[in-house]
Amino acid sequence: MIRKLLTSVVVAWLASVAMLATAATAPAEIKIGTLYAASGPFAAISMPVFNGLKLWVDAENAKGGAMVKPYGKRIPLKLIAYDDQSNTATAGTLYNQLITQDKVDLLVADSGSVLTSIAVPIARDHKMFLFDQTGTGAAFFTKDNPYIALMADPASTIWPKHMADFLTQEGPKLGIKRIALLYATNDFTGTQANATRKFLKDSKAPIEIVYDNGVPTSTSNYTVLINNIVASKPDAVIEMGYPNNDIAFLRNLNDAGVKFKWLFTIYPGLETEHMEKTVGIPGMSYVYTYTPSSEVEYKAESGMSLPQFRDAWNKAYPDGKVAFGFNAVAGYTSGLVIQNTLATTKSMDQMALHDAVFALSGKLKTLDGPFELDAMGAQIGEITPLGQLVPDGKGKLKFAIVYPPDVATAKPVYPAPSN
Amino acid sequence: MPEHSPTAKWLRHVLLIIVPVVLVAALLPHVYSNRLLLFNFIVFLTLAQGVNIIYGFTGYLPFGYVGFFGAGAYGFAISVMHLHWSPFPSLVVGALTAVAIGAVLIPLLRLSGPYFAIANLAAALGLAQIVANPALQGITKGPYGVSLNGIYQPGLSYGTSIVILVFALACALYLRHSRFGLALQAVKNDPISAAMAGISVVKARTMAWLLSALIAGLIGANFAWYVSVFYPENVFSPDFSIFAIVFALFGGVATVTGPILGVLLLYGLYNFIGISSPQYFQLIYGLLIMVLVLFLPSGIGSLLRRWGIHVV
Amino acid sequence: MLTYSILAGLLFGLYFSLIGLGLNLIFGVMRIVNLAHGDFVILGAYAAIGLFGLHAISPMAAAVACLFVFTIFGFPIYYALVPRLLRSSDPEMLSIILFFGLSQVIEALVNIGFGPTERSIPGRVLGTHPISVLGQSFPSAWVISAIASGLAVLLMFVYLYRTRVGRLTRAVMVHRDEALASGIDVDRVSALAFGIGLGLAGVAGCFAPFMLGSVTPAAGVDLTIQSFTVIIVGSLGSPLGTVLGGLVYGVSLMLMQTYFSSWAGLLPYVLLIVILLARPSGLLGRRIRYA
Repeated sequence: MIRKLLTSVVVAWLASVAMLATAATAPAEIKIGTLYAASGPFAAISMPVFNGLKLWVDAENAKGGAMVKPYGKRIPLKLIAYDDQSNTATAGTLYNQLITQDKVDLLVADSGSVLTSIAVPIARDHKMFLFDQTGTGAAFFTKDNPYIALMADPASTIWPKHMADFLTQEGPKLGIKRIALLYATNDFTGTQANATRKFLKDSKAPIEIVYDNGVPTSTSNYTVLINNIVASKPDAVIEMGYPNNDIAFLRNLNDAGVKFKWLFTIYPGLETEHMEKTVGIPGMSYVYTYTPSSEVEYKAESGMSLPQFRDAWNKAYPDGKVAFGFNAVAGYTSGLVIQNTLATTKSMDQMALHDAVFALSGKLKTLDGPFELDAMGAQIGEITPLGQLVPDGKGKLKFAIVYPPDVATAKPVYPAPSN
Repeated sequence: MPEHSPTAKWLRHVLLIIVPVVLVAALLPHVYSNRLLLFNFIVFLTLAQGVNIIYGFTGYLPFGYVGFFGAGAYGFAISVMHLHWSPFPSLVVGALTAVAIGAVLIPLLRLSGPYFAIANLAAALGLAQIVANPALQGITKGPYGVSLNGIYQPGLSYGTSIVILVFALACALYLRHSRFGLALQAVKNDPISAAMAGISVVKARTMAWLLSALIAGLIGANFAWYVSVFYPENVFSPDFSIFAIVFALFGGVATVTGPILGVLLLYGLYNFIGISSPQYFQLIYGLLIMVLVLFLPSGIGSLLRRWGIHVV
Repeated sequence: MLTYSILAGLLFGLYFSLIGLGLNLIFGVMRIVNLAHGDFVILGAYAAIGLFGLHAISPMAAAVACLFVFTIFGFPIYYALVPRLLRSSDPEMLSIILFFGLSQVIEALVNIGFGPTERSIPGRVLGTHPISVLGQSFPSAWVISAIASGLAVLLMFVYLYRTRVGRLTRAVMVHRDEALASGIDVDRVSALAFGIGLGLAGVAGCFAPFMLGSVTPAAGVDLTIQSFTVIIVGSLGSPLGTVLGGLVYGVSLMLMQTYFSSWAGLLPYVLLIVILLARPSGLLGRRIRYA
């Protein structure tokens, strides 16, 4: 009896010493370093991502911190963030500052390919793993660089796959033969346009591209371009650009009283509320777009679901100055990946983090969809299905997912009724 | 008095200015590990001297100076990607590309004051558009960005940048002390009298123009080597021109130490603001620029001269 | 396609004339390179957006308000900045940097006040149906802004040629020192011109959400360089020159969009350089003396 008591006391004492020992070596906080662009041309895409990440940090800290497996307990997170003003030289020095002076434990990139590009060689040079949030530049993911993975945007080379497959598989059945392609010439949309063109041509479906033009990203006026597209008599029109392009295109379409039978644009899906405010609901009716995965009944197994996230966002950022949408979700998703990485990693060593991130591939499901990386770190999960925005009869729009068939919820309305 | 002979003075200035700069640049990375920040300082020190040569000595404000920088970067990239040359010959290609662009833009030198500045800006922005066009994808990779494999050598490219900075400083020193530099200043102040005194106005301006293009091209090519991954926006950003101009002006043009002071103080201040108070970054820096123009238009150099300090 | 492009170019070009009118006046009178011009236009746009959002005020009413408010604000800005600038060693070059600083300040303030996201005003506010011009249909916003542009040009003509202050302004435009020597209060005339220039920028800004689709704080920079193209292609000093410059720019842009779409962004720069080198006084070819 005494021996049993003594044994349990000794065991308890040893356990507490062990815990104290690991707790003593655990850091007081985990430092996460990132940049954001508060001004300049990239501010519009950067601030939502940063705010999403910040929301995740605050949510974790409200629970006492993130669970870090090597120390077996929750450790508070400290977010160290600087403003790069959309300037890549400044971004470079600030990334370096985060690594060499602030000595952050985790490095997270700013949003967009241009501001991420400068981080890629820096992270590699200092052997730090780069959590790339939305930088989809194909040049980042090479076999000889293990220090990067794409968190939240699908690689631009495969993102349009479902849209292209719809046109080649379902299109001919609906009578779609002639396709017009208009895109802004930058890395993000130019790559998607190239991918679309390749998918369409490789499929050998009986469709032809009758209009194929690139325009500068600064294009703010599409009236003449729309007129030219109409002159080519397309059955389906694809327009790819940044929010300012999509907004101008859809508004000009509305102003000119033109309605295409089938129209795809990117941002009505990625920033729906924002587009409704700037374009208006009539201008977006029956438009096809990328459907955010949260609309696709994906069960978010880690982190908040989209409605929960939206509520948390509105509570944290009530002034509405920063757009809620896909980019906000992207920032939050990056946080979720970090959270799951910290919870499963063997140590805080950068290559261990690398292994933990890649181990999540195929297993992690968030409000952004299934997290899946290829061998070089590019995101190949999280591909958005093709949806159509249809009026719901109450003056608002809802998503009808039309492709791929296994997640489709409705048949496409083709041709779009002219109002 | 041999002490004040031109050669002795020149040598003294070389020792006083170039040697400390080189020593600091070379040794600092061992103490302060944010080497990219130091590299950016060297880039701006070089660009400020380039601006100094064209504005301080000839009075043309190169508002599109970044065009040469980007030309150098893309010249370097094209040489590495398509000619498969190693970094050092590629640096030369980059520099020559910038000089070629400078040669193409020589007609701009006919324009006066603000017209030249706007035209130069338009030229730089236009060059950026041409490089970023998908039609030229096969040569410049268009908007999809350049990724140079196999040449990433931060240590060596940092060292090379110091050499280029020394070259730029030497050029500025030469202009400060030589008859050519004096001729340039004469042209700047009064072209008609200078012409009457027998100075070839056009030739003098053209040489200064090409020299400043060469300097920007060299450091641009070096920048491409150091970062090895970049988009057109990274190397054609108007911020390079504007910062270089502001630093050179507020250090004090037509001197050698002026731009150095300007870069150290203002770029240092810029980085400090960036780290300490990011949310009002743009506002503070914009106000700072306005205050400097209104209250210190001739630069810190003039302030020092008023206090009796002889500025080289 | 060709006819539509040309007509569209003419209509859209008139909007660019409106943007350029203010800059023309400021540059013509003071030889100051106002690099903040585009940002003042954007400021007008945000004023219209704000007024519409808060009080459902129509952009046209906002335009009138902007004209007066910006003009009045022009005076303190002028007196704070320009006299000191003109006393320095190289006012023309320093003005470039000064106004660049100002553009950064304006952009930062707008960013802090409104955030970086794209903002706009619903298109139906300026008309729900396209208007037919010469058999082709165009958005009603274009026709309205073209009319506004015409009114602004008319106003400028009345100001410059029919008022006493206007005559003095033209004198200052021709030769500042001579005007000073003949007893004209150059500062007051310049301040008024500066104010009106800003006012016109504000008016143009009120139409920007419709003509450009949406605005962001960073959108001013692009507008500035396009405005310079417009005023240099036309001739400096003359409002008619700016109109011509706008039309040329508009038509060229639309034609580029139709035939060489990916190179359309190059147009303002090429036009600017070609005109400066080939015909520096602009297409109208008239020297400032005959403004």
